[in-house]
Amino acid sequence: MPRPRRRKMTRAEWQHLRNGLLFTLPGIIGLLGFTVYPVLASLYYSFCNYSVLKPPQWIGLGNYSVLMHDSQLGVALRNTAIFAAMSIPLGVATAFGLATLLNQRVRGMAFFRTIFYLPSVMPAVAGAVLWLWIFNPQYGLLNTALAAVGVAGPGWLSDPAWSKAALALMGTWGVGGWMVIFLAGLQDVPAELQEAAHLDGASHFASWRHVTLPFMSPHLLFATVMGIIGVSSFFTQVMVMTSGGPADSTLFFAQYLFQNAFQYFKMGYACALAWSLAVVLIFLTYLIFRGSARPVPYGGE
Amino acid sequence: MSKNGTERWKQGVGQAARRCLGLASLAALLCIGGCRRAGPDVSSGPVEITVWHPWGQDQAKGLQRAVERYHRAQKRVRVRLVFTPTDLSSNQKFFTAVAAGKPPDVSFVDGTQVAQWAEWNALSPLDGYIRQAKMRASDFYPPCWKQALYRNRVWAMTFCADPNFAFAWNKREFRRAGLDPDTPPRTVADVDRLAASLTRDKEGRLLRLGIIPWQQYGSANSVFTWGWAFGGKFYDERTERITANDPRIVKAVEWMVAHARRLGITRVNSTTSGWGSGANNPFITGKLAMTSVHISTLADMKRYAPDLDYGLAPLPGTPDGEIGSSWVGGWLLALPRGSQHPEAGWDFIRWICATPEGTAAATAEMGVLPGWRRSPAITKAKKNPRLRMFVRILEETKHQRPVMPVQAFFMGALDRAVERTLYGKQTPQQAMDQATAETQRELDLILGKKVQ
Repeated sequence: MPRPRRRKMTRAEWQHLRNGLLFTLPGIIGLLGFTVYPVLASLYYSFCNYSVLKPPQWIGLGNYSVLMHDSQLGVALRNTAIFAAMSIPLGVATAFGLATLLNQRVRGMAFFRTIFYLPSVMPAVAGAVLWLWIFNPQYGLLNTALAAVGVAGPGWLSDPAWSKAALALMGTWGVGGWMVIFLAGLQDVPAELQEAAHLDGASHFASWRHVTLPFMSPHLLFATVMGIIGVSSFFTQVMVMTSGGPADSTLFFAQYLFQNAFQYFKMGYACALAWSLAVVLIFLTYLIFRGSARPVPYGGE
Repeated sequence: MSKNGTERWKQGVGQAARRCLGLASLAALLCIGGCRRAGPDVSSGPVEITVWHPWGQDQAKGLQRAVERYHRAQKRVRVRLVFTPTDLSSNQKFFTAVAAGKPPDVSFVDGTQVAQWAEWNALSPLDGYIRQAKMRASDFYPPCWKQALYRNRVWAMTFCADPNFAFAWNKREFRRAGLDPDTPPRTVADVDRLAASLTRDKEGRLLRLGIIPWQQYGSANSVFTWGWAFGGKFYDERTERITANDPRIVKAVEWMVAHARRLGITRVNSTTSGWGSGANNPFITGKLAMTSVHISTLADMKRYAPDLDYGLAPLPGTPDGEIGSSWVGGWLLALPRGSQHPEAGWDFIRWICATPEGTAAATAEMGVLPGWRRSPAITKAKKNPRLRMFVRILEETKHQRPVMPVQAFFMGALDRAVERTLYGKQTPQQAMDQATAETQRELDLILGKKVQ
């Protein structure tokens, strides 16, 4: 059947379109001016030598070839990977554990849920300053508590061997967001399946392992993917607490990008770093989703 | 809603949209009008200039009082001070303002950054004004003049010359350790010997330290301080080569690291994490018996510990290096590119950096020393037993940090190199080789040389 020819818009339709566009104009301008343009500009600058004060100079793939041999970038990537391997499992496990506990029927549950969520609404910088004090090797809360049980605490943030662990530990304090997601997921686990499992003689652990966990896997997957993205842009706390030190032990990717962009004003190189990260992240996310296609059932499929 | 009502509603929406559009264009027009710069000032009233400065608290108040003296001295220019820190790590605001064509009329610039800002076209040269005012290089202490000189042009004027550093020793702690309180160390070997006697620990915790060589106002400044004391050279201006792996500088870093080994770096860190500044300055509390001191620390000592029994001496060095080496840093004033009132800006810069009244005002109100050697403030400071040492550094030292356009990167590279050696990740030789190579690569990139 031939498709009907496009008819001309009526006056009313045209007016609707115009009014609609006018009302969404602020949003469209915002999107174009503050998202699309910067994103495209950063792609262009990534092929340039650009220091903001002088016009960009096209150098083709120059930045990308420097990036391949940048030893400092290697340090930053290794640190980021180690930190991801520490902080994501720790954070997800803590959030999941908390969500499980907060899913019990206990008096005053609303109060507990609020208390555990509260650190997440704290501004990151304020939290970082607070933890600086907690980690203080001499007068800090943490080492004082450890000393009470006879353990001489490490230098935490001032010791390269402990600084990443310290930041990961601090991360468990702010898992409230994930906790809420897990809590919502746990409440969606069908009660009748759990009942059936119990009737069939499954232990608490077995029903958790074979009923709860499979239903929670989409949430866990989501948290892991968001965790990876979060770690690769982990910045505020590092900037406030360590600036990448000591001895580059907390120099993560985002901090290195910031140094290049805003301390050395190598904007072109920083843009190349950012675009490489974006490509790597998209690839990683793709891998995770492909690798987990089977173990994660979705309601829709 | 009835059909009629819907129609009316639609009409209303159309009208509202038209009105919005009208308002938006009006706002845009107003904005464009408002954003347009007023032309050069032709009215007869005083010209107001904006000066960006990095000073906080008492120093900011002092600067404001100095500016008021300037206002009383003349009626043509009025200065509006705006606190906008610019330092090695936070130039973003300044650069974006210059790039957008809306810079302040005058800005402070850190001594290490003049070349970088000049190379990036962020400053206007002052040579024309300097010629007109018949100022000469010999009016200034040589390092103060040299740190503003890049590619044979002068880009800034030294506002405060920081004589870095005098060497302070706590006489009371010397007595307690059974040492002669009136004999400061002259050589690095003396420092080692005294530090060994001064260090006191109890159950593994450090109660008092002799010296922390790598903490002389940051690791990078420590390398400069001891590097020159050991007789090293950091940069060859003629060939534009970074020479931070000079054997003497490597020796200096080795010496710093030897102290870290002896004391235990993590032990020192956990000790210093309990230290503070101001009244809790470890030198004031007696926890650190020897250290380099910046001129601003004198005010702290006078304020928080007027009875502190300490002495000031030239920096120790090695016999084949330089005893009493020191160097000069400090803040300068410059005209950013695109400054709207360069004449008025220059008038202020000249007054506060290179006139008898202006330099006297800055010294009296802020406790800084000028780089202009004819200042009455210098004559006065020579009479003060403490300040005398700092004036002597200004008059005698030959050093300022290398004037080249990747100084911020260089400082960062030195900081990281020292940290890597302190934690035993690299030998001093490896670390300084790496810092040299990294910085050279950046420098070649900026100077447009081929990167190898």
